[in-house]
Amino acid sequence: METPRHILTNFETALENLRNDVLMMASLAARSLDCARKGLFERDEDWCNTVIADDEEVDALEIQIDNAGMDIMLRYHPFASDLRNVIAAMKTSVNLERAADQAVGIARRARKLILQPALPEIARIEPLFDTATNLFKDAIKAFSDGDIELARTLKLRDKGLDEQNRSFAETLADLMQKNPDSIRGYLELIFIARFLERIGDQAKSIAEDTIYAVEVKDIRHTSIPN
Amino acid sequence: MPPVLSKPTEQPMETTVNTTTEGRPDFISIRDFSFFYGKKQALFDISLDIPERQVTAFIGPSGCGKSTLLRNLNRMNDLIDGIRHSGDIVVNGRSIYDPHIEVISLRKRVGMVFQKSNPFPKSIYENVVYPLRVSGQNKKSVLDETVERSLQGAALWDEVKDRLHESGLSLSGGQMQRLCIARAIANRPEILLMDEPCSALDPIATVKVEELIRELKQEFTIVIVTHNMQQATRCSDRTAFFYLGKLVEFDETPKIFSNPAQKQTEDYITGRFG
Repeated sequence: METPRHILTNFETALENLRNDVLMMASLAARSLDCARKGLFERDEDWCNTVIADDEEVDALEIQIDNAGMDIMLRYHPFASDLRNVIAAMKTSVNLERAADQAVGIARRARKLILQPALPEIARIEPLFDTATNLFKDAIKAFSDGDIELARTLKLRDKGLDEQNRSFAETLADLMQKNPDSIRGYLELIFIARFLERIGDQAKSIAEDTIYAVEVKDIRHTSIPN
Repeated sequence: MPPVLSKPTEQPMETTVNTTTEGRPDFISIRDFSFFYGKKQALFDISLDIPERQVTAFIGPSGCGKSTLLRNLNRMNDLIDGIRHSGDIVVNGRSIYDPHIEVISLRKRVGMVFQKSNPFPKSIYENVVYPLRVSGQNKKSVLDETVERSLQGAALWDEVKDRLHESGLSLSGGQMQRLCIARAIANRPEILLMDEPCSALDPIATVKVEELIRELKQEFTIVIVTHNMQQATRCSDRTAFFYLGKLVEFDETPKIFSNPAQKQTEDYITGRFG
């Protein structure tokens, strides 16, 4: 059924602009994550520098979304789904900004790794990149499409990423004893894995906010997804 | 250019009524109530339980029947020719249409505050004691006590205590409305009906009246008709949404304004039809 138009067309435009800003921010954050990955695996400092430079744009968008959301609430006093959508947009932008910060963290660590001899163990972190990237992109898709079924899968999948991270850290701790010369490089990889694990947390939060916006179900801090 | 006003969603009208009132007894019980102005039916089978000492807001677009229902609660509509009703309204266990109930005594139990303040061209004092004088009470000590109690109840005492014998018409708009509230509560009614009580007031006077409404609910069961959504969210505990003479949804106010059960309620409160 077609959603009837709001009696204030300005409100509809403001809501659409807010949503577009969030989607723009999401695509910038996803691009930063991809660039950080290329920087790490291709040992290319330029990709890393791109991620660090782009973060400014993401930060500016976060502020813009905050201001626009505040403006909408002040001017139009939204209720029901409108109110939930504005709040979800503002909360999602916070998570996107943090995810972009994790990408910056990865890029900074990658720049340090590039200065050292290549570590063959770097291949072990690739599955974590795959999981974190998929989680993040699915969270954005769930937000964008209001896809509750997809959003519901994120909580469990984030637990899987946490487990991957734990297992990766244990493996590298063992390797540190065997190859003490590579400890510095291994530590950088452990930090990168932790950044990826946090991206999973942010993806999960975006999914939770999406579920709240669409279904008004608060599944935060619950053990079993509803 | 898109239409500014969208048509209401075309779907069969359903009703969602949440009667959970956290242990509070239902004070007003409206049962299958329909109301007609001549041939025109204004209300259709309304069933609604209003809990005691809470604020219940009636919202809905113009012509939805909310004021008609409010005015039925103290039988104000009886004054109109050609009206008729079916169903019943029970207040505190007794039908207001019971042939043994006098309309005047009902209106003593059910006070009303109107959209436009309507003080009499008399002193502040005489405005407040008017309902008592009408019912034959002229004892000065009783009247004095009533004036102080009612004006304090209406949060007006401190502003007018030194000029009680000045004209009620000399007050500001907000003060006049609070004077009318003082007059409405002078007879200690059980129920206070308010029909858009703040629509003619500035924001500061509105805030004072809204604060007053929240305080008055300690003592009275309040039903308020408002077009102002923010006012309904600020003042009321429960909200009833009406459309085309039918009750669409009745629930706790936070639920209605954050997650209404009916799409028609959602469309109305989010401004998707007017």
